[in-house]
Amino acid sequence: MIFAIFAPLIIAILIPFLSRWKEKVHTGWLILPVPVAVFIYFVQFAGPNFEPQAYSVDWIPSLDISLSFYLDGLSLLFALLISGIGALVVFYSIYYLNNKEQLGHFYTYLYIFMFAMLGVVLSDNVFVLYTFWEFTSISSFLLIGYWHHRQKSRYGALKSMLITVFGGLSLLGGLILLTIVTGTTSIREMVSQSDVILESSYLPLILTFLLLGAFTKSAQFPFHIWLPDAMEAPTPVSAYLHSATMVKAGIYLMARFSPIFAGEPNFFIFLSLFGIVTLAWGSFMAVRQTDLKGILAYSTISQLGMIMAMLGFGTEIALFAAVFHILNHATFKGSLFMVAGIVDHETGTRDIRNLGGLMTFMPISATLALFGTFSMAGVPLPFLNGFFSKEMFFEATLANAGYGGFSDFLVILIPILAVVGSIFTFVYSMYLFFGTFRGEYQKEKVPQEPHEAPKLMLLAPFILVIGVITIALFPGFFNQGLITHAADAVTGAENNRDIYFWHGLVPAFYMSIAVVVVGALLYIFKPKWDGVYRVFPGTLSFNRVYDWGVEKLETGSNAITSRYMTGSLRLYMALLLSAIFLITTTVLILTGGANFEVNDVAPITTVEVIVAIIMTVAAVATIFTHNRIGMILVVGVIGFGLAILFVLYRAPDLALTQLIVETVTVTLFMLCFYHLPNLEKAKQSITHKTINIAISSGVGLLMMVIGISAYNSRSFDSISDYFIENSSELGGGYNAVNVILVDFRGIDTLFEVAVLFGAALGIYAMIKLRRDKGAK
Amino acid sequence: MEIIMTVLASILFAIGVYNLLQKQLLRIVVGTVLVSHGAHLYLLTMSKLKRGAPPVLEDGVTQYADPLPQALILTAIVISFGVTSFLLVLAYRTYTLNKTDNMEELRGNEHD
Amino acid sequence: MTNLMILPIVLPLIASALVAFFPNKLNIVRPVSMILSVIFTIISAYLTWYVFSNGTIVMQSGGWDAPFGISIVADPLSMLLVTTTYIVSTAAVFYAPSSLDEQQERFYFYTFFFLLVSGVAGAFMTGDLFNLFVFFEVLLIASYGLIILGNGKVQLRESLKYVLFNLFSSMLFVISVAFIYAITGTVNFAQLAERIESVDQQGILTTVGIVLFFVFAVKAAVFPLYYWLPNSYAVPNPVVSALFGALLTKVGIYSIMRVFTLIFVHDTGITHQIFLWLAVLTMVFGVIGALSTNNVKLIITYNIIPAIGFILMGIGLYTETSLAGSVYYLMHDMVIKGALFFLIGALVVAAGTSDLRKMSGVIQKFPLLGWLFFIASLVLAGIPPFSGFIGKLLLLQGGLQQEEFLVVIIALLSSLLILFSMMRIFIRGFWGEVQEGITTNRKKVRNLTIPAAILVSISVFLGIGAEAVYPHIETIANMLMDRTEYIDSVLKE
Repeated sequence: MIFAIFAPLIIAILIPFLSRWKEKVHTGWLILPVPVAVFIYFVQFAGPNFEPQAYSVDWIPSLDISLSFYLDGLSLLFALLISGIGALVVFYSIYYLNNKEQLGHFYTYLYIFMFAMLGVVLSDNVFVLYTFWEFTSISSFLLIGYWHHRQKSRYGALKSMLITVFGGLSLLGGLILLTIVTGTTSIREMVSQSDVILESSYLPLILTFLLLGAFTKSAQFPFHIWLPDAMEAPTPVSAYLHSATMVKAGIYLMARFSPIFAGEPNFFIFLSLFGIVTLAWGSFMAVRQTDLKGILAYSTISQLGMIMAMLGFGTEIALFAAVFHILNHATFKGSLFMVAGIVDHETGTRDIRNLGGLMTFMPISATLALFGTFSMAGVPLPFLNGFFSKEMFFEATLANAGYGGFSDFLVILIPILAVVGSIFTFVYSMYLFFGTFRGEYQKEKVPQEPHEAPKLMLLAPFILVIGVITIALFPGFFNQGLITHAADAVTGAENNRDIYFWHGLVPAFYMSIAVVVVGALLYIFKPKWDGVYRVFPGTLSFNRVYDWGVEKLETGSNAITSRYMTGSLRLYMALLLSAIFLITTTVLILTGGANFEVNDVAPITTVEVIVAIIMTVAAVATIFTHNRIGMILVVGVIGFGLAILFVLYRAPDLALTQLIVETVTVTLFMLCFYHLPNLEKAKQSITHKTINIAISSGVGLLMMVIGISAYNSRSFDSISDYFIENSSELGGGYNAVNVILVDFRGIDTLFEVAVLFGAALGIYAMIKLRRDKGAK
Repeated sequence: MEIIMTVLASILFAIGVYNLLQKQLLRIVVGTVLVSHGAHLYLLTMSKLKRGAPPVLEDGVTQYADPLPQALILTAIVISFGVTSFLLVLAYRTYTLNKTDNMEELRGNEHD
Repeated sequence: MTNLMILPIVLPLIASALVAFFPNKLNIVRPVSMILSVIFTIISAYLTWYVFSNGTIVMQSGGWDAPFGISIVADPLSMLLVTTTYIVSTAAVFYAPSSLDEQQERFYFYTFFFLLVSGVAGAFMTGDLFNLFVFFEVLLIASYGLIILGNGKVQLRESLKYVLFNLFSSMLFVISVAFIYAITGTVNFAQLAERIESVDQQGILTTVGIVLFFVFAVKAAVFPLYYWLPNSYAVPNPVVSALFGALLTKVGIYSIMRVFTLIFVHDTGITHQIFLWLAVLTMVFGVIGALSTNNVKLIITYNIIPAIGFILMGIGLYTETSLAGSVYYLMHDMVIKGALFFLIGALVVAAGTSDLRKMSGVIQKFPLLGWLFFIASLVLAGIPPFSGFIGKLLLLQGGLQQEEFLVVIIALLSSLLILFSMMRIFIRGFWGEVQEGITTNRKKVRNLTIPAAILVSISVFLGIGAEAVYPHIETIANMLMDRTEYIDSVLKE
């Protein structure tokens, strides 16, 4: 099985080489066998006697990350969708993309996606799951941006990436919390520890994180805004990622975790609420779209909302219907996307206002679309699988009364929104079909003379439509082999539900009838009421929030950053010093570190005090001197004063060095002073001056307090006695300072020389390079 | 005495910092010199002043000044000397190339 | 074996002096530098392997026992970072000839380069506070020499600010050493660690610790002390920026890690809590900076800052998991920052501009460059299974274990914005119609891309092959939390 998962990745790596021959053989043909083989591999597991399987390989055992895969009914359903629709999409794309395109890129991204998506639905280890999860986001980004010379593609790619990676990171947070709570990284073991998770105080945070992850990926309101823009991707991609598979990853996640949260009402309330709102909003918005793929995108959003809501109801029938609808949606929506792609391909436009009357030119496409749209609309006919799951959905919406945590308000609201959403679903389904294929053909608005697509291009949607019909006609076969097992995995119990067309005159049936009748009326009178969309700004408002957010991120951060990154050394220094001052002072006060209990100090002598006073005066004078010579003088005074202090404090070597260094420095100063302009009276505003004085005296005072406290807090004898005792004997010298320098701490001295060496070369380079330039 | 020396070092440090906050390049360089003088004085002061003879061993003397800080200061002085010289030349070169010694005019169009 | 531990510090110093003699013979200096770098890398890798398998080795320089001489401590953390330094710098040597013009190379690029490596290795390995100051000065003077290479107007202007900031923090370093010496009477790390527990005046010790933290924080570019960084790193040649971005700030953050896990751990309630909040602010302001500009070099430079925030976060949390995360992140960030600066250097050459608004479609002419950049972006943003993820995972785990939810949420959002800042470059610079003015010098771009490719592959390996590395990181984190092994092996008690 691991090979089956990794096969697409291996091929993805080889594709850039295979695509070299794209002039001769369309790359798609070369790689088509892979998803077919994977599909065949997984289909072997399906059947009434299915038993879950587990496989595992170590990856990073020390972090408890292993490539452990677990195939249960839910995973199997998804694996079959991924490989099956994957194969059809690759086949379809052979006709959709010609060999002038960068096929290598396209198929590499697509197969990386296939690999990642298989990984998502089969991983048992949460971190491996997360890894695959992010990879689906990234491959989706690359696929949406496939035609990256188009501005809209780039916009859509970035949007989808930002939103889905945001969700991914949130998911990561939730998964880490789950591992902390349960102490395991395996989803199965988490499920068995569900009570521990439910009792944890982190539960609200875990739920928030996980729901954000799922809602962003599965385009739930209000995170749905990325999906319509993702339609910039080539149509095979839209059919595959953005309707059948990737967008269902969030649904998969929720289904996978719902056994854990089975006792947590908030989980179900949030899922139902967001799901049902997404359903209603998505279908409402779909009606106003004019782009075929736009309609399908909103329709996908709405259908995802419906599945999410069913997961949220949490009743046995709802979960069963959810799983069933995952399969049904993939079949009819996949075929519709492909037909939309064919229409686009053959006419050169996807704008439904320009289309119409294509039935006569493209009868087969139209027939396929007829099945797809009617199934999507939930028209009660025994050969449309959409009706079956929709009917169950209605039944489920009515079964929430008395169910844990649902308030009466929700119990009533849910069926109402379900019906409203379904009515609009019916409207846009009709609009989609009749608007494209019936009505008048508008020759002047269609860029290309339309004609039927090549037979083989029609094959992929045809197979999907066959799926629509066979599932409806033989529901038992699919139920026994696949759907029941998937439902078992979600509910955690055995399901014995039968799928059949006629339920009798139950409330759900009346709801279906109401949907059809009201929907038909609304469709017929659409021109009379669709002005409502002008009043209702619609999804654009959420898009505006996103656009505003992204723009503000850039302009806002520019505004903030350029506010303090002005390039002014003074400002930088002032900010830096203030920060040091404030934080250090706070710590000093908090710890009560100040210590003024003076003990053990040397006596005060007049000479030293005089030197100190002279140095202070000289230091103050540096501020007020505006004369070059004066400046040299005062700087010199301070330096030589320091040398005198060194002498007084029994440091002859220091005094000597200080004298030499000071002399050289003063000379250097003189050289530079000669070239640099004369000092000016510092022109600074009073505010600046006050701030400067405040900062420098503050920092000085702080250092003084710390210094005095540190001196008074002496707790140990210095290690220096050792040097005194041993320098002549072991170090072979009588001057302890020298012995320390050359022997005890010889490394210091060696690298001190290295510093001088570096400084000298640097100075040389600075001066020399100028001469070279001057010579030119 | 140590307290007075700490105060002196802090004064040198504070005035050095004040000079660092000025606009004219030369003043800033002078500021760094003062700050480093302050730092060296701190180091010396922190090891107790005037306890015994200079750390040059002689017979009969048992009390010596702490040699370790002196060694450290020596290293530090030499290093500051190297860096200060570098800084001076850099300041000079910056001035000749940019034709100004006012740091506020050396902001550059930094952020765009 | 013990005395060989000085090699990673001394060998480049010798090399530095050696190449200084032949500044104009580039056809000798270049290959010699490359060969020497490779040899040094192998040597330090061998020493690292030796330390990993045999435990910490302490070289007491001059044969003077600690704490009287200077201890060079080759513990796993130091050696790991030293080897990473060598790997990145070797890549830099191979990158340099294509990136620098000959005049810059002749003005002692290779000398300063080796001096820098020597200083960095020394700073990682020394066990002595004052000696750390000396190595800081070595690497700083080398960085001064590198940053002025080329002597441009803008360059000198930014160099001046860079030098001034570092000079100030160096002086603060000396002052902190003075205070610490006053209280404890020693400058040896291990002895400091031992003595600090029995100091009566814990309060002043904490305060002095914070002052020392600021010294390192200026170098590490922690909020709010990083103002000097963005422009001075973005201005010099990419190879210099890469060395700075990969090594210099990391020395600062390493010092924080060492000092605040070994020595100042007596009042973590105050010190490490402050770190945690500064870490959060560092991330936030770093990513804000990265999003604020259209200059690609500046974008990468700003991205240094949130990485420092991540590492500091782990130190602030101060648990074994979080420290393991910090160490992993530190190692990973050295490699990937090097790679990114290389790639950006190549991008600027390829596009002929560093203004994002003027470039587009570069990937169509330079696909390898584009894809490397894309992968490097994912690595940087911590997308699994690359190296950034392992570090980030551990850090987040550490944060959530400590119930620092706000910190974790901000860390997650920063990752997203880091990715955004990188994707801005990818989408606007690499995607789109091919711009005008794109270079025709394919060979140069290729030469610039190859060293980056090597570093990117290492990053990818550090993620996928984490099992080969992580157990060692765990040992390191263990040793950071339990200081006895370090203290005992230095003081031989």
